[in-house]
Amino acid sequence: MKTINILHLYAEAMDLYGDKKNLEVLCQRIQESGAQAEVKTCELGEKMELDGVDMVYLGHGKARNLAAMAPHFCSYGDEIKTHIEDGQLWFVTGNARELFGREFTTVSGEKLPGIGLFDYCGIENNKVFVADMVGRAAFDENLRCYGFANRTACLIHPNGNPYPLFKEAKGFCDGEQEEGCEGTLYHNFFATWAMGPVLVRNPGLMREILRRLGLDPSICDFSLEERALQLVLEEFKDQEKEA
Amino acid sequence: MNLKFCITALACKALAFGANLLGGGTDRPGSIALKLYPAVLKQLRYDGKIIAVTGSNGKTTTSNLIAHVLRQQGYSVINNEKGSNLTSGIATTLLCGATLGGRVKADYIVLEVDECYSRFVFADVPVDYYLVLNLLRDQVVRNGNPDLVLEKVAAAIKQRPDCTLILNANEPISQQLADCGNKCLYFAMDKTERSTDTCISGTHDCKICPHCFHKMDYSYYHYNHLGLFRCENCGYQSHEPDFFGSQVNFAAQRLLINGKPVDVTYNTTFNMFNTVAAAAVCCAASGMSVEQFAQGAKSFHVAKERLDSFAFDGRKTVLMMTKQNAASLDQSISYVLEQEGEKTVVLYINNVLYLDYKDISWLYDVAFERLQGKVANILCTGNRALDAAVCVKASGFTEPTLVYETDVEKTKEAFRKTKGDIYILAASAFGNEGKILEVLKREDH
Repeated sequence: MKTINILHLYAEAMDLYGDKKNLEVLCQRIQESGAQAEVKTCELGEKMELDGVDMVYLGHGKARNLAAMAPHFCSYGDEIKTHIEDGQLWFVTGNARELFGREFTTVSGEKLPGIGLFDYCGIENNKVFVADMVGRAAFDENLRCYGFANRTACLIHPNGNPYPLFKEAKGFCDGEQEEGCEGTLYHNFFATWAMGPVLVRNPGLMREILRRLGLDPSICDFSLEERALQLVLEEFKDQEKEA
Repeated sequence: MNLKFCITALACKALAFGANLLGGGTDRPGSIALKLYPAVLKQLRYDGKIIAVTGSNGKTTTSNLIAHVLRQQGYSVINNEKGSNLTSGIATTLLCGATLGGRVKADYIVLEVDECYSRFVFADVPVDYYLVLNLLRDQVVRNGNPDLVLEKVAAAIKQRPDCTLILNANEPISQQLADCGNKCLYFAMDKTERSTDTCISGTHDCKICPHCFHKMDYSYYHYNHLGLFRCENCGYQSHEPDFFGSQVNFAAQRLLINGKPVDVTYNTTFNMFNTVAAAAVCCAASGMSVEQFAQGAKSFHVAKERLDSFAFDGRKTVLMMTKQNAASLDQSISYVLEQEGEKTVVLYINNVLYLDYKDISWLYDVAFERLQGKVANILCTGNRALDAAVCVKASGFTEPTLVYETDVEKTKEAFRKTKGDIYILAASAFGNEGKILEVLKREDH
């Protein structure tokens, strides 16, 4: 049986609002697809081993925790960039995205370096921004997805978002605008501000991840998830009509 | 007292009287008063001591318990017993309790205060004792994460350096408030039969030390991240408690507080904790003994809006209310698991607040897995029923155990397809909580 090796980065420090269920359900789906998932974790101070890893998961966390993890993460910056350029699958949610830009500014005004994979900068402003979002997946423009953001930071792209995960996004984007592009899809690097169970609630996104892991998602039963998502998307259509 | 105050206070009293007659909320009169005269609360003078109670879980119950015990001991008490805990609700409570001369003539004012609004309340109200029960992830849409709430609570405290803090020594996030430099008293609870060596709750907000970010060790857990904690790296640990609950006997609904027996009327871990916290406040603020506290506490009952029991089609039905709070729902699950007999759990989940958010991410922090093999059915209802069903499915439940009905109006029929006693875990938008009760109690046609 094929084994999918997953590395869960900073599982203890970076876990807010249902985020960990993305990984738990992904493991269930991997199993349903006829493979097995093996999850290892890497915490602050531990050696980050990326060789032989099929997928890296990094979730949303408290701003203080993110800042505390940043130096450890950046010490592996070159290795991380090499693996992503070589096609390693990553799934990153929420403020963890700040680690992949040039730098990010903490709420106290301190500037911390990111690994510089992307040109954007992160800014923590300590103001809670909350929004629902619907958008079209960049890998399949017929696929509409739903996400929910609850964040105290945003990303500033100096020249626009060159690698969006979601296009025609309504509700939230990477920056402060509410319509446009959201997230990142670069090779097999997926990232979004949509926090919580974004993979669970978006079966199309889950299928894409499974496919990119070399698995066949057609075996999995997504009927309940599809119905739930359709209802959400219809509610958005109704809201747009009312508006 | 100035004329502007008199007119504002009179208007507030009249509006509150009208709202009371018409069944309106308790926020509106205070809200209008604050618009008429923004500095109205600064004009008040207090004869007694002011106690504020905050925390992610247990504010209403604990502040009502404190007020109840103080009244039982013969003190006059003003409190916001319905849980109107924002600035406007507190303004209503205080202005209705004040004379037109601006004096609040009560021995104690007990205020449940929202964590995020406490900094606004503290700006105008000279709080003497501030009980912080706990800080957990709660109502994500309003609060963000516990660190953000902690900062807001600390901002409140910094305005009142003379205020005595009463802190939970089993809760590492809010215990950090001792850093504000105020005088502190601590409460805690000993390991109970329900304590665990590992965290069995769906969420844990303090796996790493909030001071040094290294792994936090727990000798035992009460629930979520509450327990006896210590960071081996920097030494941050549970403070020695001034008020300590021990020999907790859930079956007998009794515990010892500082070695003295106290009977309670509701035997959840939450309530045992709330009782120790209330004892700490009552004893510290009034000088009463634990025995006197126990005398008052034994006749206290949890508000019916939070916990209601009735019969549906002859089946025992219990309603437990929460507001997008995973820890609270986890505790409700613990309660359900302790009940004997065949049972169905109903999840009543609606859009979040009046802004209509479709998020239910907080529900993914609940350990539904604990219900596996222990319930006949899980029925999801409310306008987020399908999303809730997806969440429950992620915990390993499948049809026919897992059922759903998005139309609350059809809930009765869905209930009739389930088996056993019914436990409704209701987490809904504000103002919509009663809908399911209305449908269930409506006569069939």
